[in-house]
Amino acid sequence: MIEIRFHGRGGQGAVTASRLIAEAVAKEGKYAQAIPMYGTERRGAPVTAYVRIDYRPIRRRDLVHEPDIVIVIDPILSRKPSVAAGLKSGGLLLLNYPTPPEEVEIGGDFMVSTVDATTIALETLGRPITNTAVLGAFSRVTGITKLKSLEEAILKRFPGEIGKRNVEALRRAYEEVHLPKPAKGPLRPREEEPPHVTGYGVLKSVADWRVFRPVVDLEKCVGCRLCWIYCPETAISLVDEKPIIDYDKCKGCGICVHECPVKAIEFVRESV
Amino acid sequence: MEKLTIKDIPLEEYTITPGSACQGCGPALAARLVFKALGDKVIRHGVPSCPDSVTRTPHTFSVFESAGAALTGISRALKVLGRDDVLAVGFIGDGGTYDIGFQALSAAAERNEDILWFCKNNEAYMNTGIQRSSATPLYAWTTTTQVGPRGRGKETPRKNLPFIVAAHHVPYVATASIAFPTDLIGKVLHAKRLRGFRFIDILCPCPTGWRFDPSRTIEVARLAVQTGMWALYEIIDGREFRLTYKPKKLKPVEEYLRIQGRFRHLTDGEIEEIQRMVDENWERLLKLDEEGEFPL
Repeated sequence: MIEIRFHGRGGQGAVTASRLIAEAVAKEGKYAQAIPMYGTERRGAPVTAYVRIDYRPIRRRDLVHEPDIVIVIDPILSRKPSVAAGLKSGGLLLLNYPTPPEEVEIGGDFMVSTVDATTIALETLGRPITNTAVLGAFSRVTGITKLKSLEEAILKRFPGEIGKRNVEALRRAYEEVHLPKPAKGPLRPREEEPPHVTGYGVLKSVADWRVFRPVVDLEKCVGCRLCWIYCPETAISLVDEKPIIDYDKCKGCGICVHECPVKAIEFVRESV
Repeated sequence: MEKLTIKDIPLEEYTITPGSACQGCGPALAARLVFKALGDKVIRHGVPSCPDSVTRTPHTFSVFESAGAALTGISRALKVLGRDDVLAVGFIGDGGTYDIGFQALSAAAERNEDILWFCKNNEAYMNTGIQRSSATPLYAWTTTTQVGPRGRGKETPRKNLPFIVAAHHVPYVATASIAFPTDLIGKVLHAKRLRGFRFIDILCPCPTGWRFDPSRTIEVARLAVQTGMWALYEIIDGREFRLTYKPKKLKPVEEYLRIQGRFRHLTDGEIEEIQRMVDENWERLLKLDEEGEFPL
């Protein structure tokens, strides 16, 4: 039995990715389970999903605690060593990350593979929804599913133009993925809980929710206060009538960028 | 209501952020604006719902059905204690207002309890995963009003709850939108000074449930008003009616519908049907506004 854990953010499609894998391997005559972690997931907040694959019917029904493969579809979560928590010795860590595996800081007795799925998604879908691109890399690196079965599963779920563009993302990632290399450091990650936000209340920082960051051009700003009044998270305060952004509070929704009447706020891709 | 400009809106914040709401959350902004206007002499009451924004106020909580009853208790206790400086405020979703909480809401309104009730209306049960409510508009897709061979989204138009509450002859009923913060805060400040049952229904777009990019929350909220899908008005003592936003000409509803995934499946015929409905309703509201009288 092969067990997989997905890490992503609400809205990037980790749950959908887990279902697509399950559907694809089922088409190939294997058995599969896709398990979404239920909580109070929010768009932008870290979420997890799980998959089990076997040649025989699967009787286990619990969550996956010691996965063979961990797939991280968000580039900023890909920096967190805790995503590898519980990963089996000799397992695979597949990251959405812009650099080759040699430059990944996470250490342990497993293999690391990377693919720049965010760039692929932005170029094919126009949005940073990275799930299908990462699946292309998954197919190439693990050989667990054929690319064709994944394509069929995607086209069935997303008929029409959206499906075609997702297939394009899938194929590009299949070509562009950096093949697995042993993880750099000898150290296992500290055994902390894998990142998953649930529940209500106030958070310390949401800086890592962002794919894009709003940057104000104070020269262009006319001090109309619209960005300030429309920010749901009070991330913008006024200093001498000009907006100052608190990046620990900004979730990167882009309302201020969209509403600025003089286009004084630019949306800049976060670097990883 | 009070007429304000953006410079009149207080700088002081009463929400504690960052909260756990989605990116571009409409209700989170509604909470920020409402409590900006109310200040902190407030006991806030809530029922099961998305998290919106945490506020610097005492916060009580009850089951879905009983917001009206719980708020009655809070308001009467404050009266017994002689604390007429503290407001009993409900900040409740459309499920807890239009549907499950409706009986207790109606009862509290009929008794004219001293309550300020805000409906953060995102037109479905978003917290549990986008199930339709009676605030969901005609033909909107939700997970319980599917689009497919046998479904075209929700089959019926939404309930006209502000009019139903106004028919209880309460001191103040209004609709508001997060895209019009001066209008919204003006209404909250006006309601704050009255006594008795006051109700403000705030349309708060939900990027997750309505299926649009989080950066467009305000644009969607603004278009709802500019197309007449969500008219802004106030009803005083269940008698006086006044539109607070009256454009010379409404934009076509298509502009509002086409940018949301929940209406992606609409045919031209269905859009025309919604347009006719909106036009008829707008004519009616204009007439009420001209006469200045609420007919119920």
